[in-house]
Amino acid sequence: MQTKIGKALVIGAGISGIRAALDLAEFGYGVTLIERSPHIGGILSQLDYQFPTDRCGMCKMLPLVERDAGSQFCLRKGLFHDNIDIKLSTELASVEGEPGDFKVTLRQEPNPVDAARCIGCGKCVDVCPVTVADEFNAGLTTRKAIYLPVPHTIPNPYRIDTAACTQCGACQEVCPTEAIRLVDEGRKDFNILVVDDELIVRDSLKEWLEEEGGFHVSMAESGQEALQHLKTETCHLMLLDIKMPGMDGVEVLEKAKELFPDLPVVMMTAYATVETAVEAMKIGARDYLIKPFDTDALIPKVIQIYQTLSTPPGPELEVGAIVMSGGTSYYNPADGKDTYSYGSLPDVVTSLEFERLFSGTGPNGGQLLRPSDGRPIRRIAWLQCVGSRDMQSNADFCSNICCMYAIKEANVARERAARAGTELETSIYYMDMRTFGKSFQRYRDRSEASGVAFKRGRVHSVEPDLQANDLQLRWADIDGNVAVDHVDLVVLSVGQRPAEGTQALTETLGIGLNPWGFPQTEPFSLTRTERDGIVAAGSFAGLKDISESVTQASAAALAASTTIHNAGGSIGLKDQPEAIYADVSRETPRILVTVCTCSEAVTQGVDQKALTHHLKSDPAVDRVEFLDGTCTAEGWDKLVALVKQHRPNRLLIGACLPYVYARKLKALGTEVGLDPRLMEVVDIRTPVFQAAREDAPEGTEPSAVTVQRLLAMAVARLRRISPAPVATVPVFQQTLVVGGGIAGMTAALAIADHGFTVDLVEKDKALGGNLQWLSKTIDGQDIRAFLEDTRNRVTGHPQINLHLDTRVIAAFGQAGTFYSTLEDGDGNAVQVNHGATILATGGHEAATTAYGFGTSPRIVTQQNLEAQLHDGTLDPTQLHTVAMIQCVDSREEPRNYCSRVCCSTSLKHAQALKAANPSLRIVVFYRDMMSYGFMESYFTEARKSGITFIPYTLDRRPAVAADGTDGDRVTVSGYEPIIGQPVEMTADLVVLATGIVPELPGELADAYGVARDEDNFFQEAESKWRPVDALKEGVFACGICQAPRNIHESIATAEAAAERALRILGRERLPSGTIVARIHESLCSLCERCVEACPYGARSLDPENERIVVNPAMCQGCGACAATCPNNAAYIEGFDAEQLMDVIDAALN
Amino acid sequence: MTAVATQNRPGTESAPGPDALKAIQDKIKSCIQCGTCTASCPNEFAMDLTPRHLWRMVLMGDTEDIFASQTFTLCSACYTCSLRCPRGLPLTEAMHDLKQLAAKHKLPRYKASTAFYGHFMDTVRRHGRIRETEFISRYFMTMTPSKPLMPLKYTSMGLKLLRKGKLHIENPFAAPGKQSLEAIFQKVESMEERA
Repeated sequence: MQTKIGKALVIGAGISGIRAALDLAEFGYGVTLIERSPHIGGILSQLDYQFPTDRCGMCKMLPLVERDAGSQFCLRKGLFHDNIDIKLSTELASVEGEPGDFKVTLRQEPNPVDAARCIGCGKCVDVCPVTVADEFNAGLTTRKAIYLPVPHTIPNPYRIDTAACTQCGACQEVCPTEAIRLVDEGRKDFNILVVDDELIVRDSLKEWLEEEGGFHVSMAESGQEALQHLKTETCHLMLLDIKMPGMDGVEVLEKAKELFPDLPVVMMTAYATVETAVEAMKIGARDYLIKPFDTDALIPKVIQIYQTLSTPPGPELEVGAIVMSGGTSYYNPADGKDTYSYGSLPDVVTSLEFERLFSGTGPNGGQLLRPSDGRPIRRIAWLQCVGSRDMQSNADFCSNICCMYAIKEANVARERAARAGTELETSIYYMDMRTFGKSFQRYRDRSEASGVAFKRGRVHSVEPDLQANDLQLRWADIDGNVAVDHVDLVVLSVGQRPAEGTQALTETLGIGLNPWGFPQTEPFSLTRTERDGIVAAGSFAGLKDISESVTQASAAALAASTTIHNAGGSIGLKDQPEAIYADVSRETPRILVTVCTCSEAVTQGVDQKALTHHLKSDPAVDRVEFLDGTCTAEGWDKLVALVKQHRPNRLLIGACLPYVYARKLKALGTEVGLDPRLMEVVDIRTPVFQAAREDAPEGTEPSAVTVQRLLAMAVARLRRISPAPVATVPVFQQTLVVGGGIAGMTAALAIADHGFTVDLVEKDKALGGNLQWLSKTIDGQDIRAFLEDTRNRVTGHPQINLHLDTRVIAAFGQAGTFYSTLEDGDGNAVQVNHGATILATGGHEAATTAYGFGTSPRIVTQQNLEAQLHDGTLDPTQLHTVAMIQCVDSREEPRNYCSRVCCSTSLKHAQALKAANPSLRIVVFYRDMMSYGFMESYFTEARKSGITFIPYTLDRRPAVAADGTDGDRVTVSGYEPIIGQPVEMTADLVVLATGIVPELPGELADAYGVARDEDNFFQEAESKWRPVDALKEGVFACGICQAPRNIHESIATAEAAAERALRILGRERLPSGTIVARIHESLCSLCERCVEACPYGARSLDPENERIVVNPAMCQGCGACAATCPNNAAYIEGFDAEQLMDVIDAALN
Repeated sequence: MTAVATQNRPGTESAPGPDALKAIQDKIKSCIQCGTCTASCPNEFAMDLTPRHLWRMVLMGDTEDIFASQTFTLCSACYTCSLRCPRGLPLTEAMHDLKQLAAKHKLPRYKASTAFYGHFMDTVRRHGRIRETEFISRYFMTMTPSKPLMPLKYTSMGLKLLRKGKLHIENPFAAPGKQSLEAIFQKVESMEERA
């Protein structure tokens, strides 16, 4: 494949890291993806279900172009891509250099288990004497010190938790492959100086550190003695007491640092002097320990320091850009002031614990059982805003995700219960239900209709009811009635917090933090930081759900890509050795079968001779060999030798974990000239697990039979494989962007900056879209100046052909080759050929007739008010009362979605009015205030400035009446539920928040083969995992034609869409996958059913030649066409009928 | 919904004007009406307005209704609402401010509670500690000056309390710590005047 010389570092392999890495890799850059935990997937490895599907779906992020460069299996299990080098348990140590040319040093945490030797037999776990809480199950279960961090990843070598390990050596003794090398000789030479005036402290530390840690310990009883000791003996770490007679710890620290600036020092302090310890860290102390010591925490801390110091830094890399995608952490209720008795009542759990509780890989295998006593759960309560919107936990922000995950958890739990035939009561206690994302409101409404109870109020306390043996919640409903509800389980919907280590990482990279500790991004950007070439992706920069994380990861990839491109990183390195495979199509099949014997489950009861005999009864089988440990380096070498010796033209490997072999098979293919498509790995281990167990149920198929059948089926499949050359499609390396608003301009600039030509089409005579009537953002950024700047960059860009006053009148085509006809205002038509299409057609403020709009000049929309405030036609000092009404015609059918921007716009306007006229009375009627994320702080500010917020419900809306001359007198009446009385006011101004409607004409969507959703927004391929793609590859959307968004978010979607388009534009020909649909033309009757059946729009009728054509780059090999075709004309390469019949025969034989 | 009498409210003739509430409003402006205070209040069952309802009225400047309510006099300063408030608002303090406003304006409706608090503090000021007998006698004097023998109705209860050690026979001449407490009270008075 064609790679580019540019390289990027992605820090953090959660979904945003994966998305950013894949985007960069698919464009052709080399990516190093590092992750500090021992597995990829981040938080998502612990979450099994996502709304709105209530399923997973992560695999939808897998590459769609040049599919075979990456793995094609469950992304939760693992990720393989030719251009991505994944380094687990690795952190960034240091960075030097400048954008486009960074030199980074990584630090890899050593693992005493050699991954290349570990066969995952698990014997070590059986003998390990150490039991600790298992973080994968959020502490609900336990694990050993040697363990699998995540049960489902591949490859999945065991790891040793060095902090918990006692180095007893039991695992090392039982390991059959000598994969474990435990003894750490270095610790004996690691000299720790303990300085404390109390003998007992010195002695116990010495004992702990020597016996449990294996370190060498010296002691000093005063500051003077310690300094003397440092001069005479080499010390690697000093543990230093703060409160000592004579010279105190801080003074010793200062002096020691003068003598030995690099000496790591850990302060020891009583709780009362913690502040001194924190101060000491500012003058060079590395950390502090609080007395009395908790040995469970002390030893691991020292071991961790030891490991950091003793692990040699490396490897070093040169990269053009760095993407920070370290995710977030979650609020720990135990940090609060007895938050709902979390920690003391076992049936009060966090949302993450609940996800584990109902997971199939969780503590109860997915059954809903109470943690306290294992009784089935019948009633669950979710408490929202735990650690969010809470000043007491320093969180004047909304965490964005909790409302939706609580609803999802309630739905999944109900589905679970329904399947088990039980009743489950689910209640969500909330203040504002923030359903501001695309499709969220309808999801909420569906859930409510299906029985999830939404209770508006904040629960005050959770207490055990000992008689009823359950929990009681005390809360006040909106009418002021105090209620006590009884439930079996309480789930705390915990909010987001900056990822652990954010501060250290951003300090290393030289990036500032916002007031809540998340990386600060540049104005109008959610990804760019103050340092060019260092960008933030996903929730690392704060408070994101999956679809936003994925979008912003793509946007971050774009920013990184731009830096790399500018530094010359896009120059193609064409001549990566193209593998040359022998043509075996005319040879009779000669299959080499190897059977791995490392698993007892396989070898027990398998008669090697009988198996060989059976397989060789098929003349296609040339040889059958038995190999030990195929996945280990040694085993693989043996296999390669066998292939070289016998020169088969098909290879069948019976082993386990087929995914692991993708890369190895490619390398082998290149080495011996055999197409990897003629090789197959079949998992013969997993299917026989049950048979191998002693308690296998009666009638379980013996492993010998299973193994034989699986291999025979694979032989049958391989025998008929005759790989055709991989198809490619040509690419017009330029793009059409429809819509010249901020999204369209951003996308056009992003692509043009990569050197590709862009045709930007705008139906109006001027660029700018909605930005033309906006003046300032809520955080005070100057929108007009920003628009002016963007316009100038677009109009002056040599790679952008601007078509103002122009529309797309016709278009057709597919990924790589689109043909569009543009027509300008004068009727002149021009044709543009392009490889990718970006729709950025935007939207506008919805029109309304509600609340007396049109009957009085005093009743205006938000857009009217924005204009009046800007041009000065409205003088706020002349106003006495302003009423604002949110959700006008929104969040109810037929426009049942949240427009996302109106609440913050009202806050912005209210603040502006209040600033100009502090005595102005402003009343905002709202349903749920959608001040998500950091916008919440503006909501708080608004309340503080005296603005009144009155909630209303659909059955009790406010009313507006205009009378007097020209409707000059406007009366607004509503109902204040807290006081329980009607309110009425004469308003000088009524502002209606009518929301956003899209402008995506049906004909335009049809022309490019994409769908619109029920509200006429662009229908993305998948709302979570492919938020800016159409299902049809090659068409993307951004801005508010996709979903309502603010400026920053629209820009992020535009950058994401541009990045997605670049994957296609980056090469002259687009290679397809190997498994694609084809047609037997002689059998085809041109009924076109397959064209309708194809979900990816990859099939079309070629009327000139009267045949159906498949765009192989768009085809994803799903087989819908083959199933639909009445004549067997449509088929999938490698899955034709004869072959499948053979496989079925082999299975039944 | 709590029914609030909208007319014939006795004793609100000299109710503080909306401006009097300004300082209290400033303290609780960022209230989001979540209701945690109401659910947390142990005396909520006896209140005519729930705490949230009261705070909403304070924010709306509805002095008439506020000073027709007994809610704030029933606050026992347990601080649970302050502890639990997600906005971290000083609600107990605000309750106290309302009590003070009522006392300052000598609203007849709050005569009993004002007198109760007043005599309590006076006793403490005089003796450096609470003296139940003196305090309650003075309270009765204020409340029912025309029936000096009325308190005798409580004799049997007083005896019971005495037996349980809840009531003490006090030496009216001993006044430990009077000096030091007087200074504190004077200081507070001067601070309150300044405020």
